Amino acid sequence: MLEAIGLSKRFGALQATHEVSLRLEAGARHAIIGPNGAGKTTLFNLLAGELQPDAGSILLNGRNVTRASADARARAGLARSFQRNNLFEPETVALNLALADIAHTGAGWHIWRRLSQDRAQAARIEGIAEQVGLADRLQQPVRSLSYGARRQLEVGLALTGAPRVLLLDEPTAGMSPEETGRMLALIDTLPPNLAVLIVEHDMDLVFAHADRITVLNYGEVLFEGTPDQVRASSVVQETYLGEEGVIPC
Amino acid sequence: MTRHLLALALFVALLIWHSQAEYYGFELLAEIAVFAMLAMSLDLLAGYGGMVSLGHAALFGTGAYLFAWLSGDAVGLSAPLAMAGAALGTGAVALAVGAVAVRVEGIFFIMITLGFGQMGYEFFFQNRALGGDDGLFGIPRLDLSSFGIDLSDPRAFALFALLCAAAVYLLLAWVLATPVGAVLKGLHANPGRLRALGLRVLVYRAAAFAFAGTIAGFAGSISAQHTQFITPHLLNWTTSGEVLVMVIFGGLATLVGPVLGALALVLLRHEFSGITDYWGAVMGGFLIVIVLSRRNGLVGLLEGMVSGLSPKVKPDA
Repeated sequence: MLEAIGLSKRFGALQATHEVSLRLEAGARHAIIGPNGAGKTTLFNLLAGELQPDAGSILLNGRNVTRASADARARAGLARSFQRNNLFEPETVALNLALADIAHTGAGWHIWRRLSQDRAQAARIEGIAEQVGLADRLQQPVRSLSYGARRQLEVGLALTGAPRVLLLDEPTAGMSPEETGRMLALIDTLPPNLAVLIVEHDMDLVFAHADRITVLNYGEVLFEGTPDQVRASSVVQETYLGEEGVIPC
Repeated sequence: MTRHLLALALFVALLIWHSQAEYYGFELLAEIAVFAMLAMSLDLLAGYGGMVSLGHAALFGTGAYLFAWLSGDAVGLSAPLAMAGAALGTGAVALAVGAVAVRVEGIFFIMITLGFGQMGYEFFFQNRALGGDDGLFGIPRLDLSSFGIDLSDPRAFALFALLCAAAVYLLLAWVLATPVGAVLKGLHANPGRLRALGLRVLVYRAAAFAFAGTIAGFAGSISAQHTQFITPHLLNWTTSGEVLVMVIFGGLATLVGPVLGALALVLLRHEFSGITDYWGAVMGGFLIVIVLSRRNGLVGLLEGMVSGLSPKVKPDA
């Protein structure tokens, strides 16, 4: 589905990403972890197309998208959520989801049909709202939503248009335990054949929900394996998990 | 919906005025109609799409000059074809300008549209073949004599201009109700997210700029027929600023607001320029009051009054 080969990115003297490779198959639940400054966000932005790598390539469904813009990647089935909520604040939940649907279907040029007459789109929007737990808040403006509900909408926007690959940037950032629980339930109900890549700080989430973990350190892949292998790895223990003592058993 | 009713009421009021008016009233009505069309097209761009242009009058003037040129001896098109040519030609110019201008946002967009606008102004100002700073005169009007209508009659022309403005309102109201309206709002609120969702943001912004330019060009072709005499001043940035004031005065992103704004500014200018040479200061005062009221222009004030009058519904405990 999504494959990165030897990605490198340098900002001045800082080697933010160094020869990182990873591969996501359909249905993957792949997490990227690492201490602050390990290059998680840079890697995420390279994959999403917000940054261009200095070296390496990115394949999406076998197609080389290394030089493709972020919007071209989105049209090719690569969806992303944002670490900080990035929504259409003045508008309603329904219009937010409608915009995601329009961007995906190309209906933005359809001047012959009123937005309110697009029944198929309305049904798709309701489906997504149902999925992310916002079905009863479709007509509310985003401004009036709680932080947790906005986080859910953030994922809802990414899920619109049935992507093949979903990149989630710290989906539970800043959430209360209760809101986190709702988000985890949401992540568990994602379509089984959707390839999901999660950048996450929350170790409980990562070890409980990922089937594969890439550990980054100083921009490099320190280790990659299943959650059990990561737990058992002495190199990971030493450089990262051990010192903070956050490894869940 | 209520805004459409307000627009309808406004249209009826203008028609009633038209039925009572004499020569000077017809001139004012035609001017209001022309500026209403121009202000509505700027509202689409600035109010809805968040692209505040200070070069919109340059597109308006381009439409006026294109009409004069296409309907003149050099080309000799019939007036309907010249109108279509003026609108579409201006749209093409706007597409070319937009392709460059939409790459930047905010204050930089204001500056780049100002720059393009002044280039257009200079072009017509210096071009001797197009009359230079003296402008062009003897511009014909649409010939509707086969329908028994004589547009050289100010009464008929004012009504024609009002109907054109109503048609532009209906067209824009329709377009804004389609997904285009949603995308424009989205581009205003958060263009970066729309790009991340897969929209070709620059293409879309350029297309919106071209569409607004087409309407501005159409308004220019009506203006040229109204005065039958055009000067480069039509393209000047001060005209752009005036139109922007009309939009803000009436209410951004309301569509009917710019019509109200055009009505208010043309009337204020007419009323106060007869009394005092400082009518610009009077208008500035009105603008300050409107902006300080923290409402969205006249439409925001009206809506605030209506919601203040209606009995407050207490939420259930």
